[in-house]
Amino acid sequence: MSETVIEVGDRHIREINEEIQEACKTGKPIRVVDTLSRHNLGVGLPDGADITFEGSVGYYCGGLNTGSSLKIERNSGWALGEGMAKGHITVGGRAGMSCGAAMIGGTIHVKGDTGPRCGVAMKGGNIVVEGKIGYQSGFMAHAGKIIALGGAGDSCADALWEGEVWVAGEVDSLGVDVNVIEPTAEEVAEVDAILEPLGLVDPSRNWRKMVSGQRLWYFEARDASAWLMI
Amino acid sequence: MCGIAGRILNAPGEVGRDLVALMAAQEHRGADSTGFAVYGVPMETGYVLRGMGFDKAQMDQGLAKFEAVLTDHGASYLSDPKIISDASKHYCFRMEISDPKDLTAWVADADMLTGDIEIQSCGRSLEIIKDVGSAEQVSEKHKVHDMVGTHGLGHARLATESSVLPNASHPFWARPFSDVAIVHNGQITDYFTWRDRLERQGYRFLTENDSELIAVWVSDQMKQGLTLEQALKRSISAIDGVFTYMIATPGGIGFAKDRFAMKPIVALEDNGEVAAATEEQAMRRVFRNEIDVVNYDGPSLTGIWGVGNRSLAA
Repeated sequence: MSETVIEVGDRHIREINEEIQEACKTGKPIRVVDTLSRHNLGVGLPDGADITFEGSVGYYCGGLNTGSSLKIERNSGWALGEGMAKGHITVGGRAGMSCGAAMIGGTIHVKGDTGPRCGVAMKGGNIVVEGKIGYQSGFMAHAGKIIALGGAGDSCADALWEGEVWVAGEVDSLGVDVNVIEPTAEEVAEVDAILEPLGLVDPSRNWRKMVSGQRLWYFEARDASAWLMI
Repeated sequence: MCGIAGRILNAPGEVGRDLVALMAAQEHRGADSTGFAVYGVPMETGYVLRGMGFDKAQMDQGLAKFEAVLTDHGASYLSDPKIISDASKHYCFRMEISDPKDLTAWVADADMLTGDIEIQSCGRSLEIIKDVGSAEQVSEKHKVHDMVGTHGLGHARLATESSVLPNASHPFWARPFSDVAIVHNGQITDYFTWRDRLERQGYRFLTENDSELIAVWVSDQMKQGLTLEQALKRSISAIDGVFTYMIATPGGIGFAKDRFAMKPIVALEDNGEVAAATEEQAMRRVFRNEIDVVNYDGPSLTGIWGVGNRSLAA
């Protein structure tokens, strides 16, 4: 099946996104070229679309995704897949700050590292990072899993709700109110089920699973000094 | 939200054109006002001044008072001042002057005229051009795209804490230190505390813009003998707020980023040339091919990029 090629260049972003939406209706794969790290590319894509971005993209790429499969061949900027509900996003390189922010479903797969606050306030879905997740990743995640295969930066899993941060490798430092627990075999099997379709299962991994210590859930102003990190 | 940019070339070149391109791409981050700090080929003696008068109708009187202060300090114009104006009430100027006997003393006296006339940059090579409007509008009015130099800064302002006025836009000159300029993206939350403290030491503030504080604060640190690197590092613990700012000197460009790491900066170093901006997409206006920028997105970061060759001859 042939593909539809859409060129970005210096054109107005609305014009480009309208062309992408039209192309989605044909059912053919879409290839977006000359992306120039532009922002807001492919926001609000429909279920079933298959789209590849050749080169790096800017902020909010794949945001509000409702079921499409996106591939970014190089790096992405801030808030990749912000608020996505369903679908699959693959990044060949690095993802910038707040990747998967407030997402409610679907999977984001980053082959490189991510910037800070990966999965900030996420409410569902999974983020799989082959490299290292940045500073304060998982900040206030309500639900869903962040799975990092190459370690984590400072203040990892800070102030979680019911989200989980799984790390194989070094964790530079923990955030506030984190419990690090030894996962059960059943829990590891659940994570492996997420990694399996990506070809990333490795039974030798030494997992650290981070969940909320639940003390911050009942925050009292008089205890504020106990939580101040900076 | 504001947008900032920096550019360093290997040798004097079209730095104005690059800065305009970097800022035009970041217009959505702040379209109130735009400003540029350009470091041209340095003069051996004398200073180039950029500034603004606030009422065109009073221009002749304003400039006469200014010249009188200059004469008092043993300096004079090296050429006729160049006036840039349009339909707006304010006018801008570019002047070349001989060395005043004592630069700091002259700046202090010239600053007494700020009701009429404000000097916005003074240096052997630094020229700060700022005005209301977009990058393209400011560039068109002031011919920024034609400016030749080794390095410089750009700023697109979205006023959040103070009024939109031509002189309240960035970059800010670190008066009275010649050839030092800053651009800032963020908000300083202990602005009034610091401003009071610095005013008691005799520093003057010409605007209500919190970013001006950084320029004055850095001036004060330098006066106390800190190096640029030390001042950048100290600012992270001393100043409260969210900020990413860049500071330019004849020797290069430095940046500092606060403890919360909310204001982005990306950079690319390529054979001694440097480009830095708030957003990667702006860098792509200068580098059309795929590039791997460095995302300085952790907390409490500082850095300095040096300038190599500044003379036209080499």
